[in-house]
Amino acid sequence: MSSYRCVFLMGVEQALEYRVSFFLSMLSAVFPIIIQTTMWNYLYRHSDAAAVFGYQQGEILLYTLLATIVSQLVGTGFEWEMNSDIKMGGLNKYLIRPVGYKGYQFFRFLGQKIPRIMVIGPVMAVIIGVAFWQGLPASPGRTAAFLVSLILGMLLNFSVFYCIGLLAFWLTDVDKLFGTISIVLTVVSGGVFPLDIFGGVVETLVNLLPFGYTTQFPVNIINGRFGWARMGVGFAFQAGWILVFVCLGEAMWRRGIRRYAAVGG
Amino acid sequence: MITVEHLKKEFTYYKKMTGIKGSLHNVFHRESLTKEAVRDISFSVEKGEMIGFLGPNGAGKTTTLKMLSGILYPTGGRIEVDGFVPWERKNEFKRRISIVMGQKNQLWWDLPASDSFYLNKCIFGVDDWAYRDIVTELSELLDVKELLNVQVRRLSLGERMKMEILAALIHRPDILFLDEPTIGLDILSQKKIRDFLKIYNEQWKTTVIITSHYMADIEALCDRAVIINQGVLVYDGKLGEVNQLLGKRKLLSVKTSAAVEAGDWAAFGSVREVSDAGAVLEVPQEKVREVLAVILSGMPVEDFTVTEIPIEESIARFYQKSG
Repeated sequence: MSSYRCVFLMGVEQALEYRVSFFLSMLSAVFPIIIQTTMWNYLYRHSDAAAVFGYQQGEILLYTLLATIVSQLVGTGFEWEMNSDIKMGGLNKYLIRPVGYKGYQFFRFLGQKIPRIMVIGPVMAVIIGVAFWQGLPASPGRTAAFLVSLILGMLLNFSVFYCIGLLAFWLTDVDKLFGTISIVLTVVSGGVFPLDIFGGVVETLVNLLPFGYTTQFPVNIINGRFGWARMGVGFAFQAGWILVFVCLGEAMWRRGIRRYAAVGG
Repeated sequence: MITVEHLKKEFTYYKKMTGIKGSLHNVFHRESLTKEAVRDISFSVEKGEMIGFLGPNGAGKTTTLKMLSGILYPTGGRIEVDGFVPWERKNEFKRRISIVMGQKNQLWWDLPASDSFYLNKCIFGVDDWAYRDIVTELSELLDVKELLNVQVRRLSLGERMKMEILAALIHRPDILFLDEPTIGLDILSQKKIRDFLKIYNEQWKTTVIITSHYMADIEALCDRAVIINQGVLVYDGKLGEVNQLLGKRKLLSVKTSAAVEAGDWAAFGSVREVSDAGAVLEVPQEKVREVLAVILSGMPVEDFTVTEIPIEESIARFYQKSG
């Protein structure tokens, strides 16, 4: 068995080891959905919000549900471990074995995702099914595009957070920022509400920056907001940003590891 | 097998005053300091040899091992391990060595140790049958066969250390670096690990460098000791001679329920400390039993302990003698 496959399977096993924390983390996704549903319902009842935001009430609820689910799927957590590996010398065990650190973290990340995907996947299928029944223009092609964008979104988010984790080589207290970074990135990824409600400059920024391509882009494919041409551009951006962050990660790793070997772990 | 020549390692770090004020000060002005962890160390190790690296905390033992295993780059000097330069980190090199650090763990905390062994099997590309053989053999030798399927987090410190050692040997390294493998363990686990290393080294002719600040570890395992202090090699030679130089003496602390005349203690050995509650004596190792018997029968003893003289102190004395 290849070593990465083994790491992957151990990641699955590890995620299943803590059942309570696993279900609690799933449950924690429910609360934002309740809060948001209440909030949007209130807004739409008391104003002509549709005119302001460009979203019908049903559309915004669908967006919120799907975005919460997509953020759960692309979300990371390995940056904490990277930080302690770098700070406390845990990195040593990777340096002395013929295995790549990034590959190791990546396959463990994937492995740990599997149980989550198995729970969230069906929920998402039900939501999309209901939306389709309500008149959502879903098609096999669009669903396939959505799945591809979801996988690319995961890759992108992994690459972004891998770079954030590597900051620990230079910044002593970077772990104290992880919570903030994660919240800010969830918002600017469109994981809480669609950022195109701001229109204009913000929308352009979201289209140019990498973050929207982890969450908002996949959601906008499946909810039918994007036509095929927009999707094409989006995929190009998504792939481009992955490339940028993979290269950035490589460069950071090379410099960081030289520094690590100089100052010790 | 291993050649080390004029090895040097300097660390740069920043001085920081305590408190917020100090942190703010550091933002604008950083005073950088240099610490010489290793200053000009040279030695060599033959194939199959087991040598002990002895020295007080902060002597540079761990830093040297990290350079030997390729984790750290040296500031100067040369190392060759089995024909490789460690810090080039070639995979071929990594397959030949292994390092166990007493205070670091490589096992997955939430999963049984056997999973981590299997991962190492995959990483190092060990054959199925060779893998089964080695796990069976080593787990029997280390007496952990029943614990292979218990999550690592549920193991005791001693059991975990045995698993760490086993994990490090899955790929049958030619060279094994052990950094304080017995630190913090109870006496029985320490002995078990020592016995295991002895047998393993004899059977597999693995070259071993072991660091410890317990003299007993080195005594049990090595014929040769390398002593370093403050980054400098102060002794390299037969262990027997170290013992003569250091003098085999023990510290005997006795607590009494009533005060004993200070002069009465002097009959048993050199008195280090004395008070109404007891005394600390320095006694030659071979006389410990005898002295203890007399003290126990003749004095109002409440409690007593026998300990090694701390290595820091032995080395300070070693300096005085040789210098």
